[in-house]
Amino acid sequence: MLKRKSHKIDSSIGNAYSFLSLAIIVCVCLFIILTTIYFGRQAISLHFLSTEPNPSALDAASGGILTPMIGTILLTLIGIMIAVPFALATAIYLRFYSKKGIFLSLVKSAVNILSGIPTVVVALFALVIFTQPMFAFLSAKIEGVEGSNMAYGKSFLVAGVTMAIMILPFVIKSMEEVLKTVPESYIHGSLALGATKWQTISKVVLPSARSGIATGIILGMGRIVGDTAIVWLTLGGTLRMTGNQPWYLPGNFWSTLVNTGSTLTTYIYYTSPAGEGNSLEVAFGAAIVLIAIIILLNLAATFIAGIGELKHE
Amino acid sequence: MNKKAKWDFAKYGIQLLSFVSIAIIFFIFIFVFYRAWPALKVSGIGFFTQGGFDTQIQDAFNSESGVKAIPFGMLGLILGTLLSTGIALGFATLLGIGASVTICEFLPAKAARLMIALVRLLASIPSVLFGLIGLIIVVPIIEKLFITTDLQIAYLDQFQMSGQNLLAAVIVLIFMIVPTIVSLSVDAIKAVPKSYRETGFAFGMTRFRVIKKIVLPSARSGIIAGVILGAGRGIGEAIAVSMVCGGLSFIPNIKLGLTNLLAPTLPLAAAIVNKSEAMGSAPVEAALFSCGALLLLMGAALSIGAGIIEKRMRKAAGYNA
Repeated sequence: MLKRKSHKIDSSIGNAYSFLSLAIIVCVCLFIILTTIYFGRQAISLHFLSTEPNPSALDAASGGILTPMIGTILLTLIGIMIAVPFALATAIYLRFYSKKGIFLSLVKSAVNILSGIPTVVVALFALVIFTQPMFAFLSAKIEGVEGSNMAYGKSFLVAGVTMAIMILPFVIKSMEEVLKTVPESYIHGSLALGATKWQTISKVVLPSARSGIATGIILGMGRIVGDTAIVWLTLGGTLRMTGNQPWYLPGNFWSTLVNTGSTLTTYIYYTSPAGEGNSLEVAFGAAIVLIAIIILLNLAATFIAGIGELKHE
Repeated sequence: MNKKAKWDFAKYGIQLLSFVSIAIIFFIFIFVFYRAWPALKVSGIGFFTQGGFDTQIQDAFNSESGVKAIPFGMLGLILGTLLSTGIALGFATLLGIGASVTICEFLPAKAARLMIALVRLLASIPSVLFGLIGLIIVVPIIEKLFITTDLQIAYLDQFQMSGQNLLAAVIVLIFMIVPTIVSLSVDAIKAVPKSYRETGFAFGMTRFRVIKKIVLPSARSGIIAGVILGAGRGIGEAIAVSMVCGGLSFIPNIKLGLTNLLAPTLPLAAAIVNKSEAMGSAPVEAALFSCGALLLLMGAALSIGAGIIEKRMRKAAGYNA
């Protein structure tokens, strides 16, 4: 009788604890979203979305987030376009071409370790590598400093390549998982019909893994969009595009790419009390746009994964 | 003939791309340690056992050109990383297990799906926003609740006490870590076969007993994997933590007890962000790379630990790993 009672108490404490934990997490999540909307709602306007940031003490003249938005999109595209071919090739190589042995397990554990690597370490690495003179074509050569032939090492291209390096292990890992889900019978069937290995990969494996690959790409994009450390260290601290003006002319495209700028994350940082701006309204306004982009990416990933599941059923 | 040539091209293309990416991955390891080596060599064992990072980084910045590295004591930073991530991980694990049990065992399917979507949203909120909200909400609250003028005067000779401290870093980290733990735990709990639970019920166990004695132990490996991944996220978190941590590498003192939570701290990753503006000088660069090297080592240890646990669990479950 006594034991039974203690179980009952035990049980109700356990239930209360479980529900309370979930309630805390959900409340914090909603709190973050609502705080962001509360502080940022005044800032959002067509003007805010379509003008460049402007140095001004007047709120009305301080401009909007056009260039940070373009910066986020530009950086994501550069990063993902560089990372995906390498990652996909590596995953295919690890799955189909490499022989089992020490080298393979070494590579796999290196990928594993680096897929959780702090982005700030990659940023540090890039900061030193891309100031080497041989990488000057990605940014600009430092001029006017005697005895220095270093590169400037901060530009959209540098940050984009760094982003690609940052997500490379992560995307390799997710592509590997995706390739594992392709049933062995498909591969054996194709090989048995006399198809070459490459034909099997390109005509059988990749098409059936398509939705998984797309999901991996979108998750990688999400990582780039949300990252601050790399942008901070390798894109330079300018809110505006610093290439030839006006930056949006096609003729000035390359000059924009090899010069500095900002993304939504650094814009939020600079306008927060931690940076120099201390104007919460625009910081949270930019955060609303950033969260909207991230939610869209997440929805796209869920949607595409859903299509994949339907097909498998 | 033509077909054969095309096949080879694909094969060599894949080999080339994958060797480049594998080379880059190994190169990062080698490069970080190579650049960290001068600082590690000069500091010796004091690197792990001494404090004083704040004054050393000043000295390093002001050192004469030609000096490659000066001795550093990273104990404050290492403890800052271990404490902030460790405490946050403890709370996040408690919250995470409770939340995933509720999601999997108590909620109807639709509500559970909604909750999982919310947790995913929390996971993908960028760290700069966590930092911003920590800075304008958590920090002032801590200041109001715990920091009194008397307390500030008492510690004036050691540090300036403010709302930006270890406690703020821990609170921010808890909610950055918890989504990782929840999503892996939910997967693990869902994977526990229904028959296990039914066996428990058939013995007359209450729902809670079934969860505690059968479901959670069977899902253990997945939950531990989530905790380890969460630890990785906590260690590497730079921006959000650097915004709320106070930026001083205070070495916690056991005598102070819980007051340590109110002292400023500076974890390794936050130190890299905080001091990156001084990167032009060689000793600072070496010091920051040694922080990076330590982070890589910790990450490697976590990932190897996860691998070992996974193998053990598989063996225990009777699979051939």
